[in-house]
Amino acid sequence: MRRTAGARHRRPLALALLALPLAWSAAAEELPDAREIARRAEDVLRGTSAYTEGEMTIVSRRLPVPRVVRFRSWDDRGGKRSFIRILAPAKDRGTGFLKLHPNLWTYVPRVERTMRIPPSMMLQSWMGSDFTNDDLVRESSQLDDYDHRLLAVEEAFRGLGGSGPSRAFVLEYRPHEDAPVVWGRIVAWIEARHATPLRQEFYDEAGVQLRRMDFGEVRETGGRHVPHLWVMTPLDKPGHETRIQIDEIRFDEAFDDAIFTTRHLKGSG
Amino acid sequence: MLTLRLAWRNVWRNPRRTGLTVAATVFAVVLVMVFVSMGAGIHEQMIEDAVRLSSGHVSVSGEGYLENRTLEQFVRFDAELARSLDATPGVAGWAPRVVGFGLLSNGPDTQGIAVLGVDPEREATVTSLPARVREGRFLGEAGAREIVLGRRLADALDAGLGDELLLYSVAYSLEMAYELFRVVGVMRLPDPALDRGLALIHLADAQAFFVYDDRVSEVAILAQSAEHTGEVAAAVAGVLPGDGVEVHGWPEIMPELVQFIFLDDAGMYIMLLILVVVVAFGILNTLLMSVLERRREFGVALALGLRPRAIFALVYLESMALAGVGLAIGLAIALPLVLWLVGHPIDLESEAMRGAYELLGFEPRISWKLEATHPLGSAITIFGVAVLAALYPAFKASRARPVDALRSV
Amino acid sequence: MERVGRSVARAGGFVALVAGMVPHLRERTLQRIAWRNVWRNPRRTAIVVMAVAVGIGGAVLTMAINFGMVIQMVETAIATDLGHVQAHAPGWVDDPGIDHRLPAGGAAVTDRLAGLAHVLAFASRVRGQALVFSPRASAGVALVGVEPGREVRVTVIAASITSGAYLDGQPRRALIGETLARRLHVAVGDKIVVSVQDASGDLTGEAFRVQGLFRTASRDFDGGNAFVALAEAQALYGIGDDVSEVVVVAEHRSQVDGLRDALAAAVGGAARVRSWDETQPMLRYMVDLFDQVGWIVYAAVFVAMAFGIANVMLMAVHERIREIGIVMAVGMHPDRLVALVCIESLVLTALGLAVGLALALGGVAALHQGIDLSRWAEGLEAYGIGTRIVPTLRRDDLTVPVLAAIVTAVLASLWPAVRAARLRPAEAVRQG
Repeated sequence: MRRTAGARHRRPLALALLALPLAWSAAAEELPDAREIARRAEDVLRGTSAYTEGEMTIVSRRLPVPRVVRFRSWDDRGGKRSFIRILAPAKDRGTGFLKLHPNLWTYVPRVERTMRIPPSMMLQSWMGSDFTNDDLVRESSQLDDYDHRLLAVEEAFRGLGGSGPSRAFVLEYRPHEDAPVVWGRIVAWIEARHATPLRQEFYDEAGVQLRRMDFGEVRETGGRHVPHLWVMTPLDKPGHETRIQIDEIRFDEAFDDAIFTTRHLKGSG
Repeated sequence: MLTLRLAWRNVWRNPRRTGLTVAATVFAVVLVMVFVSMGAGIHEQMIEDAVRLSSGHVSVSGEGYLENRTLEQFVRFDAELARSLDATPGVAGWAPRVVGFGLLSNGPDTQGIAVLGVDPEREATVTSLPARVREGRFLGEAGAREIVLGRRLADALDAGLGDELLLYSVAYSLEMAYELFRVVGVMRLPDPALDRGLALIHLADAQAFFVYDDRVSEVAILAQSAEHTGEVAAAVAGVLPGDGVEVHGWPEIMPELVQFIFLDDAGMYIMLLILVVVVAFGILNTLLMSVLERRREFGVALALGLRPRAIFALVYLESMALAGVGLAIGLAIALPLVLWLVGHPIDLESEAMRGAYELLGFEPRISWKLEATHPLGSAITIFGVAVLAALYPAFKASRARPVDALRSV
Repeated sequence: MERVGRSVARAGGFVALVAGMVPHLRERTLQRIAWRNVWRNPRRTAIVVMAVAVGIGGAVLTMAINFGMVIQMVETAIATDLGHVQAHAPGWVDDPGIDHRLPAGGAAVTDRLAGLAHVLAFASRVRGQALVFSPRASAGVALVGVEPGREVRVTVIAASITSGAYLDGQPRRALIGETLARRLHVAVGDKIVVSVQDASGDLTGEAFRVQGLFRTASRDFDGGNAFVALAEAQALYGIGDDVSEVVVVAEHRSQVDGLRDALAAAVGGAARVRSWDETQPMLRYMVDLFDQVGWIVYAAVFVAMAFGIANVMLMAVHERIREIGIVMAVGMHPDRLVALVCIESLVLTALGLAVGLALALGGVAALHQGIDLSRWAEGLEAYGIGTRIVPTLRRDDLTVPVLAAIVTAVLASLWPAVRAARLRPAEAVRQG
């Protein structure tokens, strides 16, 4: 049954009003195409490929102390494949995840088993975080499965950790009717000059906000201004938070095909 | 006293007629006793079978467990709680359990299942699960990572004794939980859904697997019998730590069983009612005939000064005597019969009945249970019927007119 | 020795009398006398007729209600999902799933159906496991791909829709049960994603909009099924134009077994054909169980009635003992006397039977809208029984009472009748 829609988030409305005068000045300023902005933001985050080393910190009511997971990942955006190896904690060391779109495989060294993750597990949390296995598989679709629209331009956006103020484009992503995505819409703040994603808000179809992604610690790497801190806050689970701290990230390298095999899963690299 | 002896003699004036009416009453009493006791026995059996396959008579669980049944709802189980339960009167057995869901895989074959973490010794005091192992054995020690499967589950996974299966799920800490378990036993469960979807592991192994520490999903408690459920539930609630913990009796966990029993009873009572009404008409007829043929006598008596009320009372006494004899003989036959049946339940032979029972998860047998209310209820019913049936005849008798009596002299 | 001999003689005589009386049952004269005798004591007659009426009427009505419940359960299962006859690929029965399919839309089966009698309707379906999820929750369900037009004539899903609408050809629309909608926190018009493992083992998903919600008599069904168009299910699972099953509805339930056999013969090894009770043996058990219980109920009621009838006949004979004596002294054959008493008993019982059946039929007609048991809905829905029970009569419910009434009437009257016939006329006259 439909949950009584809480207060619709006011921000988009307010911004929409701001957009009116902006529309008139559009001719003067020549605002870029929304889809183009989105494309550039995606590129900042992922390039055509990305090698990442980092640390994920999970804060949850169920955990007496936050859990810290160290990982290393190879993401081949064009080939729709990626590989993640878990380095720490010791209990999970050696665990691997292989995404060959649309399937997700995992290897657990302790039991020496490789298996494909079935549909019923796709919505389970990944490594105990607030991301789901499904998120891992779906992340490439933000460009293809959505229509993009520029809502407004915010002049003084303050982001994670008080960073900024920056000038940001506010975009709305609406999924295509046939896209297998449950979000009603996503509102994204993208820094105007370097197309660095600053925040994403995820709403269901009733307009209730379900989660928020904030991006911070922007550093220049590989010709891009890349956020090195991602924080995901699920709004339906108070007290939960997942932070990803990137230590090293390299873009646009060519990866050996052998990485994206189940054989590699069983290795340790 | 005179009236009583008079009533008695009147009743037996026509032995054949009275005999037939008494026979009808006896038949009704015996049937009522046998069926009502059978109903009580069958339903008690059903409840026993059902609670011994689910959570016992009383279940202690975390708040909201009944609606959600996830790892979020738990009870912290420690030695103190164990001691309190041991000390609670009326508790025949208790068993802590962890209930979770997961995927069990044997190579490429995977099945979604319910995982039940149990303490083997304690579980045997509450449910019938340990006794349902058909191959191999039930669970042994903690830490041995043993697993017991339903027959259909083992078939679906193509797994046999000694095979190692991978269980994976999501732990309470939200991490993925993986572990290999060795099949030590295969059990046969009546409900195919359970047989295909349930696997048992040791409680300690489950707590480790789900990163649950000393938490459990529920404590299943067996009372002395279904009737004591309410008392035991109240007693247990009294010794529990406090908030966050709920106590539920089996009627809350299985309301459909309560309703089924109700409807079943209703159907039976309606049938017995029809029977009793038929017998009532028989009594009515007998009394009426007896009254009508004594109209002259009554007329004479009234002419001689006997009050109509006395005649009314006399006829009523006759009705009671009739009912009383029928009831006495009926109970004399029914009580030993039912007591014998209580000790000798009937195992069902016909495939139809066996099948239906087993699919519902009940033992295919008919049991009897004699309760004090059964003979009491029969007595009240028969006497009530006699009271109603005698109304018209007694009325007619007391209205006999002395003039008619004189006329036929 | 002498006593045994006498008992045997008496028994023999008894049998002789009974055997002898039968031909006299059809004599019009006796019948007319019997009728008059019955009405000599209208009050007594009325009471025994009422007893028989209540007994028979009550028993028949109760049986009709109980049978109505059983029928409800069976018909619900058939109308909701099973149909009368189902055909699957041979491997399906032991391993239900997408791996076992009937090629070409089930042509091996559907082509044969044209030539068979008593086929009311049929439809093909795809059936597989799926995960359905919404922003808030997810659930494992059986995904059923149906041909909307054909399905309407095979199951009542279309008629069970409580909000929204039936599948109407718009792309990517799904029907889900109210229970499932509650669990997923979605309503009509909301988006859900259906995720499956397709025929080649890949994970694949598709977005659907909830077109409508349905509610059947079974809570489990409502929570575990989602309906989409056949073609979309085929595309999702990547099975081309294969289907999982063909469901057939016969014109009447009594034709099911014949239809199943005919179809199985026509199809041969290409498919495994089963009737509804083979697919769900539980239902068959319920029906059989009911039959067996029915006999017991009727037996008990008729025995109870027998006592009353016997009593009445005893009294009827007794009060005319003098007449009987005279009539026999004048030369009436004992056989005819026994026959007369028997006929009287039959008349009484027949009257009661008529009234009783009339009451029962009246009751059934009055309740034809159904009895509302929604107060016990939870329990009933857990067993798949709807909350509106329509009393249903079987042919047995009419023939058994009639037969039993005749037997009871005759047996109950035998003892008084034979006793009277044995009397020596002189004694009889004196007793009166």
